[in-house]
Amino acid sequence: MSVAMSDSIQTKGSIGATVQAARPVIEALVGYGLLLFAAFATMAPFLWMVSTSFKADPEVFQFPPSFVPQGLVWQNYLDVIYAPDTGRQLVNSLIFALGSTLSNLVFCSLAGFALARMQFRGKTFIFALVVGLLMVPAQSQIVPVFLIVQRIPFAGGNDWMGNGGTGLLNTYWGMILPTAATPFGIFLMRQFFSRIPIEYEESARLDGARPFTIFWRIILPLARPAMAVLGVLSFQSAWNEFIWPLILTNSRDMATLQIGLQLIQSGPDARWNVVMAMATLITVPIIVVFLFAQRYVIDGAVTSGVKG
Amino acid sequence: MASRSSATATGAFNQNLGAYLFLAPALLILFLSLLLPAVATIGMSLTDVSFLRPTTFVGLDNYLRLLSDGRFQQAVGNTTYYTLGVTLPTMVLGLLAAVALNRRFPFRIAFRTIFYLPVLTSLIAAAVVWVYLYEPYSGPMNGFLVSLGLPPQPWLQSPDLAMTALIIMAVWRDFGTAMIIYLAGLQDIPEEIYEAARLDGAGRLAILRRITVPMLSSVTFYLMIILIVQSFQVFGAIYVMTGGGPLGSTETIVFQMYQTAFGYTEFGYAAAMSTVLFFVILLFSIVGTKIMRRGEA
Repeated sequence: MSVAMSDSIQTKGSIGATVQAARPVIEALVGYGLLLFAAFATMAPFLWMVSTSFKADPEVFQFPPSFVPQGLVWQNYLDVIYAPDTGRQLVNSLIFALGSTLSNLVFCSLAGFALARMQFRGKTFIFALVVGLLMVPAQSQIVPVFLIVQRIPFAGGNDWMGNGGTGLLNTYWGMILPTAATPFGIFLMRQFFSRIPIEYEESARLDGARPFTIFWRIILPLARPAMAVLGVLSFQSAWNEFIWPLILTNSRDMATLQIGLQLIQSGPDARWNVVMAMATLITVPIIVVFLFAQRYVIDGAVTSGVKG
Repeated sequence: MASRSSATATGAFNQNLGAYLFLAPALLILFLSLLLPAVATIGMSLTDVSFLRPTTFVGLDNYLRLLSDGRFQQAVGNTTYYTLGVTLPTMVLGLLAAVALNRRFPFRIAFRTIFYLPVLTSLIAAAVVWVYLYEPYSGPMNGFLVSLGLPPQPWLQSPDLAMTALIIMAVWRDFGTAMIIYLAGLQDIPEEIYEAARLDGAGRLAILRRITVPMLSSVTFYLMIILIVQSFQVFGAIYVMTGGGPLGSTETIVFQMYQTAFGYTEFGYAAAMSTVLFFVILLFSIVGTKIMRRGEA
């Protein structure tokens, strides 16, 4: 009897085991299916962008539109690259993005170092101020920032009171200024510097090294990962920036690629295939940078919550 | 640390001076780009500054005008509708994506990267692409509807649909941010809790409802504040995709502020709008920061 019972238990167990074994497989298949669907839906706008960028003019106006283009028309890309303003816009975008990145790296690391590793009066207050400024919404400040950039003394024909000229409007300096250092960048660097053990700088300090030497020779080389995060995030946000270039410049010569894209899209002779070719050209560099720096950037994005 | 407090007065002075020199450039920029503008906005909102005529002090007139300005109220309503419409679906999709990607399986990183790509794209490139997707006569969205046998829609050209169309695009762009923040939050939930629940025979859905969601509540609240603050300031997408139209149905606060200042050169009135927006956002941010602090403690 005891033998029979143990037999029946075993049989039941093996049926259950088969079901148990099949369940994860089915779940995995359903899971992959859902993920693939979501991934395809997320990618669809990019795929349409690239697909349209290779279409010839008549194909763009077909309805319903074809997802796979009939041929690869590289002419759209050539039209963008050889358009009279593109070169200028690329140079403007690069100067703006690289200038903003460089100034963030320099100014935020200096300030972060002071807040993390130096003793001075008012330190608590200044740190609280930086954290407080994290909360100031930048986009709601477009009006006063425009006026301040216009009234920088001695710039653009201004007198010492900031009157009479155009200040830094329509200059690279003016575009870079509102993005040149951010509370987030200072906060990020300060947090990173605080975590470096004090032993690293103690012997240098005993040798009488100045703070700048300690910063430059000891701390900064240890902070390469944090600098990479700050660099990538600064470049990305400046490259993608729209509102500051829009407000702080009004001449065609100062337009960035983002402004240029908006201009050709809203222009009277806009061609969707050319617009999409330009959108592709603007998007690809950022995606490439991201793929290389993915691990760091995602950590940074979590710290900042949201860029900008 | 103790030895430094006994340093001579000159030493302390030098240390102070050195630190101030390290801080000066960054603080000057923050002063010019954030602190001074915040103060200046409040000051300007009490005047009728327009640079076309002499400026006079008008007290609270601008604010009184806002109270009775139908267009501004419509913008507040539009902004609130947009914010609510973006925030909730973004968080739900972000949470689902994060839970799905929170275990090890092949191509996990590839999926995470794909879901995060819209966040990286420049707003303008994304907006331009979505204008094409929504194009009424040759756009893929209507192509898709027609292939399902549904009638094509005017999307951005319809006062009823335009805001919804903008919301769909914003959710597409933002859910990657929610996913990344939720993924970070999920790593902080101890594995033992899940194991205990599994031993007690809890199913997947029960675990999600009873453990994951409650354990993420502070992350959820923080994320909600971030999304609200960000959505309140929407501008670029509106500028490119609808220009506030049709019939003002997509005019938001920042867009109206931009028009009032740079279109009609009523800087004082725009500053009053900016001040209202500023304090609303500040309120949300303070609440958000408090919650984030509590989560860290």
